[in-house]
Amino acid sequence: MIRELRILPPLVIARFGGATTPMDNYEAKVDPEHPLAYRRLEPATTFEVNRTTGEITGMFEPPTLQFTQDGLVRPIAPFLELWALTEDDVLEPATLEMLAAEGATAESISWTVEAANLKVFRRTRDALDQVTAKVAAFSDHTPQPLVGTCDHFWPGATIPFGDVQYIKPTPEHPEIRLRITPAAGLVYGSSDTPPGPGRPTDPNLAAVVYNATEGIWRGYTEEGERFQTIPVQLFAGVTEEGSDVQISWGYLDDACDGIVRAALTTDQAMHSASARFATGPPTYVPDAFPIRAVADELEQALRGPHVDSAEPEQVEEIVRRAFESVRLMNTAYLNIAGPGAPVTARSLTDSVALERLHQSLFVALRSGTAPWFSDALREWDQVRDRSETGRKRMPAMMRGADGALMALTRRQVNHVRAQAHGPIFEDPQ
Amino acid sequence: MQPRINRHLGGLLDTPSDEGVALAPLRPGSGMPPELNGTEWARFLLYSAAGIEHALMVQYLFAAYSLGGPDVPEARRDAVRRWQEDVLGIAKEEMAHMITVQNLLTLLGGPLNFDREDYPFDSGFYPFPFRLEGASPASIAAYVCAESPATWSGPEADAIRGAAHAGGAAPINSVGILYDELLKVVADETVVPDDAFHADSERFQASWSEWGRGYEDGARGTAPGGALHVPVPELLILTATNRETAVTALQQVGDQGEGAEQPEAVEESHFERFREIYRAMTDPAIGDPDRLRRDVGANPTPDEAPPGSTAITHPVARQWAHLFNLRYRMLLIDITHAYELTGGAEEPVNPRGAMINRAFGEMYNLRAIAGQLVVLPAGTDPSGKCAGPPFDMPYTLKLPASQRARWRLHRDLVDTSLRLGEALRQDVTGSGEAYLVALAEVDRRDREDLDLLVTRAQA
Repeated sequence: MIRELRILPPLVIARFGGATTPMDNYEAKVDPEHPLAYRRLEPATTFEVNRTTGEITGMFEPPTLQFTQDGLVRPIAPFLELWALTEDDVLEPATLEMLAAEGATAESISWTVEAANLKVFRRTRDALDQVTAKVAAFSDHTPQPLVGTCDHFWPGATIPFGDVQYIKPTPEHPEIRLRITPAAGLVYGSSDTPPGPGRPTDPNLAAVVYNATEGIWRGYTEEGERFQTIPVQLFAGVTEEGSDVQISWGYLDDACDGIVRAALTTDQAMHSASARFATGPPTYVPDAFPIRAVADELEQALRGPHVDSAEPEQVEEIVRRAFESVRLMNTAYLNIAGPGAPVTARSLTDSVALERLHQSLFVALRSGTAPWFSDALREWDQVRDRSETGRKRMPAMMRGADGALMALTRRQVNHVRAQAHGPIFEDPQ
Repeated sequence: MQPRINRHLGGLLDTPSDEGVALAPLRPGSGMPPELNGTEWARFLLYSAAGIEHALMVQYLFAAYSLGGPDVPEARRDAVRRWQEDVLGIAKEEMAHMITVQNLLTLLGGPLNFDREDYPFDSGFYPFPFRLEGASPASIAAYVCAESPATWSGPEADAIRGAAHAGGAAPINSVGILYDELLKVVADETVVPDDAFHADSERFQASWSEWGRGYEDGARGTAPGGALHVPVPELLILTATNRETAVTALQQVGDQGEGAEQPEAVEESHFERFREIYRAMTDPAIGDPDRLRRDVGANPTPDEAPPGSTAITHPVARQWAHLFNLRYRMLLIDITHAYELTGGAEEPVNPRGAMINRAFGEMYNLRAIAGQLVVLPAGTDPSGKCAGPPFDMPYTLKLPASQRARWRLHRDLVDTSLRLGEALRQDVTGSGEAYLVALAEVDRRDREDLDLLVTRAQA
């Protein structure tokens, strides 16, 4: 018997792409024989979904990975799965068989989806600038468009946010799933007059949607604004000569995030569950991970900043991500960018040489050596210390999401510290 | 034996140095030898100082790596780990002293010296017989004495000197006496004339910004809550362009060793830090100090072992020891080569910067391989002494004349590392194997870069 429902994972991230076929599944793995190389991208089991019927018609492992199709990026379209916590205290995927045991069918599940892009609203704080999309309860298996509308749009203008599709369970694939297909990753604009037919003259734009005579987004500035974002002025626009005030071009994009809800009504009970999704840009470097990612934030939120015992592989992973990041940075420029003295001697900041130095550090850690650099890590409350001392702390030359100097999460730092005592007291092998 | 060094020391030693006499107390303030003029005397003293700093550094490193082991009582482990990091910090500072001394040699137009004495000890100018040995009250006492100010006296001083001489060796000279003599010589314009100082040599000198790694004025931490609560090393890498800056550099190096008059400097001096470790180690509450370190054999070597040294005959330990010696040689070659490449700290992206980064990579390698060695037996009896990092000096530190030949030398060393690593990998598992796999990958990439450098370099 079903006691509760869950949607797993509780958060998925879809990624833009204009191609019609979603990206195949893959994993990024470290090659044990080449630990310093780019992570190996390995094709993984991928569902083939019939867009018309919503059925999974097959599973396959692609022979190669193609990230684009006809010159367009293939979107990442993730699946959400419905799980059930049964009366036996077991968490398992909900299936047709389980529903049948409850006297229910696939059509007994109804989904609702709400999504929004609140970027303009966040700046103007005008509720009429919210771009929202809603899909009312549905149980069929056709793609349900997420259509973003806004009170300040021109009549009939919308921003497509992609679509959601209830995958039709079959005897071969009896699990209950919802697929999110994101938008293409396009930009939309503003005008003073209703847009005409055809493409806008501005080559950046897919369409003009925003009525600049009603809303203030085009021409908006943060000057005098109390509730600025961190960092400030994160919108497309222009600064006039002699000024550092950004003036908005009135652009909008088709990113969104939202909430998915599933409800099951049987004769005995009503159950529901929810999950979140977000859309973002494509992963242009799928074989390298940033030194600090949302996953690290979530892990800290879930498990706390403290670490009970040393986990050497965690420290190795941090250093691996450090040289993966350095590999992508123009370190020679970053060393001297911004006010103050260079972070380090200019002769040392060639990105290849820095990558090699980080790799040498990584190599030493693989021997089990305790990390000796824990004292050089920037603390979470030192991110605004832009003194010469502060800028030299690690990670160097990187900016956090708030525009301040980057610090690892407290949990990451504590992983390094837990390992700092190292294996010097271990028994010899 | 190095008669070419010792024969110039007669004026400084209380008794002549003969074959087989390891040491005699230094007599400060003596005259220079007849075959050297004032500038040459300064160069000679700096040359000797460089060797001493190098020898001190490796002995301190060895002592630090020996700390630990499964016999350390749980209640003492935090302290032992702190001592290890503190001694490693002192070793880093000695490396910085050595670099500063090289800078002063460059300033005076003298030859660089990255050499040092091997075992068995030869020179009469060293503070104590060169000996790679595990950290013990006796060895730490020797280090205290070596770094002590000339005015250090009292019951504790007598006790520590007695502990340092427990092996019956000659009185331990203080490094400070050498630096005092050096200071007098360099400061005296009647001994070293003004035109002996080459201001335009600064671009060949090592700068703190290139070599310091941020270790200055506490810049590398430790923040409250830092892992080990150990004073962060302060690397004194000083350049000089004239007599005044040379004297300042020598004073600062001397102060860091002995501690100046200011209390805060005393607290952070090598002398004081070693003394604190000695006090803690000999505190009756600590128990048996022999339990605080691994039982590493003194003066280990994978080669023919002279009397007083430990032969590493265990087949796996021996291979690691050879790899260690090779990477040590690569480190010394990288540093030597870096000095000979032009390009200052503020010139973007130059071979010198790449060589400096390579040198730091080698330091990480030495730390990693030392960690493998101290947990292995030296011989085939697993209950005998442990192996340790041998720090055997290479047959030469001289670089070939042409740039192309120099890059070839680097490439040859990398090839040897690949060969040694491949052979060793057949016999190790676990963290050792993981390290060798990664090291081989770094070496292969390095080799590709070196192929290009060899091709592009002028003959």
